[in-house]
Amino acid sequence: MNNASMPSTYSYHLENQNHHLLFASIFWQTLACSILTALLSEFSSSSKTSNIGLSMEFHGNCKRIFQEDDLRQIFMLTVEVLQEFSRRENLNAQMSSVFQRYLALANQVLSWNFLPPNLGRHYIAMFESSQNVMLKPTELWRETLLDIRVMELFFTVHRKIREDTDMAQDSLQCLAQLASLHGPVFPDEGSQVDYLAHFIEGLLNTINGVEIEDSEAMGISSVFSNLITVFPRNVLTAIPNELFSSFVNCLTHLTCSFGRSAALEEVLDKDDMVYMEAYDKLLESWLTLVQDDKHFHKGFFTQHAVQVFNSYIQCHLAAPDGTRNLTANGVASREEEEISELQEDDRDQFSDQLASVGMLGRIAAEHCIPLLTSLLEDRVTRLHGQLQRHQQQLLASPGSGSIDNKVLDDLYEDIHWLILVTGYLLANDTQGETPLIPPEVMEYSIKHSTEVDINTTLQILGSPGEKASSIPGYNRTDSVIRLLSAILRVSEVESRAIRADLTHLLSPQMGKDIVWFLKRWAKTYLLVDEKLYDQISLPFNTAFGADTEGSQWIVGYLLEKVISNLAVWSSEQDLANDTVQLLVTLVERRERANLVIQCENWWNLAKQFARRSPPLHFLSSSVQRTLMKALVLGGFAHMDTDTKQQYWTEVLQPLQQRFLNVINQENFQQICQEEEVKQEITATLEALCGIAEATQIDNVAILFNFLMDFLTNCIGLMEVYKNTPETVNLIIEVFVEVAHKQICYLGESKAMNLYEACLTLLQVYSKNNLGRQRIDVTAEEDQYQDLLLIMELLTNLLSKEFIDFSDTDEVFRGHEPGQAANRSVSAADVVLYGVNLVLPLMSQDLLKFPSLCNQYYKLITFICEIFPEKIPQLPEDLFKSLMYSLELGMSSMSSEVCQLCLEALTPLAEQCAKAQETDSSLFLATRHFLKMVFDMLVLQKHNTEMTTAAGEAFYTLVCLHQAEYSELVETLLSSQQDPVIYQRLADAFNKLTASSTPPSLDRKQKMAFLKSLEEFMANVGGLLCVK
Amino acid sequence: MADEIDFTTGDAGASSTYPMQCSALRKNGFVVLKGRPCKIVEMSTSKTGKHGHAKVHLVGIDIFTGKKYEDICPSTHNMDVPNIKRNDYQVSLFTDGAFRQLPNCCHNDKFQLLQVN
Repeated sequence: MNNASMPSTYSYHLENQNHHLLFASIFWQTLACSILTALLSEFSSSSKTSNIGLSMEFHGNCKRIFQEDDLRQIFMLTVEVLQEFSRRENLNAQMSSVFQRYLALANQVLSWNFLPPNLGRHYIAMFESSQNVMLKPTELWRETLLDIRVMELFFTVHRKIREDTDMAQDSLQCLAQLASLHGPVFPDEGSQVDYLAHFIEGLLNTINGVEIEDSEAMGISSVFSNLITVFPRNVLTAIPNELFSSFVNCLTHLTCSFGRSAALEEVLDKDDMVYMEAYDKLLESWLTLVQDDKHFHKGFFTQHAVQVFNSYIQCHLAAPDGTRNLTANGVASREEEEISELQEDDRDQFSDQLASVGMLGRIAAEHCIPLLTSLLEDRVTRLHGQLQRHQQQLLASPGSGSIDNKVLDDLYEDIHWLILVTGYLLANDTQGETPLIPPEVMEYSIKHSTEVDINTTLQILGSPGEKASSIPGYNRTDSVIRLLSAILRVSEVESRAIRADLTHLLSPQMGKDIVWFLKRWAKTYLLVDEKLYDQISLPFNTAFGADTEGSQWIVGYLLEKVISNLAVWSSEQDLANDTVQLLVTLVERRERANLVIQCENWWNLAKQFARRSPPLHFLSSSVQRTLMKALVLGGFAHMDTDTKQQYWTEVLQPLQQRFLNVINQENFQQICQEEEVKQEITATLEALCGIAEATQIDNVAILFNFLMDFLTNCIGLMEVYKNTPETVNLIIEVFVEVAHKQICYLGESKAMNLYEACLTLLQVYSKNNLGRQRIDVTAEEDQYQDLLLIMELLTNLLSKEFIDFSDTDEVFRGHEPGQAANRSVSAADVVLYGVNLVLPLMSQDLLKFPSLCNQYYKLITFICEIFPEKIPQLPEDLFKSLMYSLELGMSSMSSEVCQLCLEALTPLAEQCAKAQETDSSLFLATRHFLKMVFDMLVLQKHNTEMTTAAGEAFYTLVCLHQAEYSELVETLLSSQQDPVIYQRLADAFNKLTASSTPPSLDRKQKMAFLKSLEEFMANVGGLLCVK
Repeated sequence: MADEIDFTTGDAGASSTYPMQCSALRKNGFVVLKGRPCKIVEMSTSKTGKHGHAKVHLVGIDIFTGKKYEDICPSTHNMDVPNIKRNDYQVSLFTDGAFRQLPNCCHNDKFQLLQVN
């Protein structure tokens, strides 16, 4: 069979078609187009290609030949047809339908996923989806695509049909593809510059001065986004200056206009948010564009940033400053819809937009920071006034029924957006990184620091109860600090309204925004660390640097806010949660915690919480848990010994005392189900989880000893509450948290204590579950919470084998009474006991729940990796079900699970090799796995990420079963009929094992094998894998 | 034994309920809905408008009749929580047909007796 035979037969027909098509009747034109479209699908080797049982390699070869020759001819033919159509006036319906077909065909060609000259391992990716393919053709396409007339034709076509929703989509998609042109098609940078310049000219001619249709928004934004992402900066800047300016101006104009249309879409509550999507895309492009100060001089984008920023603010503010909720004809719409708890908060839902707008705000800090300040200060004054009016009204006629809240709601919504934008402007989202003050903000503050009066700045900051403009010299203050103080003023109005009993008029959403902002701000700015910056702004350093009155004042203010919120807003779960997160931020860094514990309020909070009295005990359990965490973290701040002693007496001891008082009552068994008792127990267990969450390397010794005392008692509770699943789950959760947070720090004997406790827990759990049946047929995931938690506990215990900091066992110095001489319980004992318990409870049905499935496979892989020697000792039925689980995981679960199972095979095979028993059931099982892995690697399409794990397992299995491996190869070879393919395969298999004959479990050989395997895959991988 | 204890209603003595802020209620806990002692099987919150205050939507099952009750109230409100006393008993003997009459909170050979003080 000649690989090239398929495409070449088509060439002949194509050439003939070329000449006749233009003059053919509509019927023939339509038919031709349909055939071509089908042809393209067949050669594209995408998911559309039909399964005809040919190898991937064959598909690949055909595709490559096709794309260099026939595909180009089809494209040229299509271009000619489109040219012809574009010249005609007044197309009738039939003709326009043909036109549309050819346009779609052109789109299909331009979206072609071009194969590189060397296929290599790409054959695997060949059949992946063809979404968002960028146009990267080979050199042979140079003449065709760099012909300016081609590009011009697509602009012309689009201008002609832009009012037709369907066709415009295709023509814009063609343009977007042309905007993504890159790769070897460009001979040099000059040609790229030329192409880009022409393209931008065509683009501007097409969209400047016309009103964009709704259906064009998405396509146009893709064109811009592709140009900005694909063309290198030096090419962008090499086009004529004027042209580039017009391009950026046009982008600015479109961004603002799409933003306004997106706002309208929201008001009208449209299902299809085309402008919102287009707006997102353009804002994202801005982010790529402005984050490059090498190619553009400083301030190049400032004016544009101002415009985009202003329009964003305008769309989000109410009239008269803004246009929020105004329909196109200027009518305000207002609807009070029900919002469920599942609805995402704006700060998450629009985080990408806000990040872009925040970035643009920094670029234009000179304009944006003062703008936000004045808008916020204005809203604060108005909010204050409005609340006062309400209060007077209430005093004048108490209980006068409902008040119209329209004005208030508008103010709240304005403040909401202003706070979000300010938050994103002043600080970044940080996860795991040290949060830094954005350089633009720092520079802005430094630049003006000479004009600033520090004392007035501090005064503005320290008097949130007064109007900023009432402070003399208020205009000579640091603008960044003044922006922060504007938000503190919002917070102060809120606090005062609460004190005046107007809580029912306040917006919990605004309360949430305030603490969210303060947390974000405190992380980045509070006690700013000079070492992290080249230069630091003097006002920042004076106002919230280390050892300043300012920082002490702010900490006190924030703490007061937290305490007030926890008392007033206990009924607003999200707000309470954000508040307690602010508290954690204040104490999680030692420097800040040192200031926090100097506040009397902090001690009051601790005492109040320990008493478990209102209002704190109204808080939801998760908030209480985090509050406990914060209180424990605070306890590790710097204090003298007496104070520290006193603190723990206030915080931890009452917990222990109350708990012991309850469980040591003589009649505890009788009263244990009484609500009051149950609540006390639940609160204690939640607090224990919070304490475990507060673990850090320098407090683990104290916390572990404290928690251990509880763990023993908790096991007793398991017995008492055996018929109360929610309490049982909570008890197990305490163990899970302790193991999760602490096991990695524990030395040998401490770890053993924990293992022992866990083993006893499992024994009690097992006893209580004996014979228990879960009869509920409609069972949901959360009914198997206990199972999930047990597996999590076992996995956490095992994790010590991977992450262990206890060698640097300094944390326990003085606590550890010598080495554990007679090690009674090991991790293996606990985990295997647990596995004996869990395996029979797991079933194939339960594996349908993703969380259970993932946790289960994580656990069994860990066990195989860490205790392979224990696997053959398992009771027969457990062993079988474990092996079956592995098989199931490799064949019919997600790719992550498959990867885990492959990882489990290597240590199992190694174990067999060590034991040298050729009749053990594990030995027999691994033989079966050899066949499975062999098939997976050689015959099936698999994820490239899996090749390493599969390769390692494969090699170890081959070492173990050399004869069986040879047999597999023989069988495969003997089934090949084509002598050429036979030879190639035989050679490839020889080469594969050449470097490792005889195979042995030696690292060097294994690495050599893995390398050969990669070559093997690239060479013949596509031969056997069939589509 | 079954003759001596009334399974369908509790003994409504003094202080049969105590108040609790709605937000502090938990799923699987108890609450009085429409005058009936219920076990909470579903709890969700919502608000009217972005700046509205939270409301709690409660679904409970009457602990005696198994009937479903629902209520929606501001999360700051106090709800009545019934004083539930729960006892676990071991079943030692089944007579013909008795098993079917046991309430569905039974696990195997154990059943719970819930009683309002």
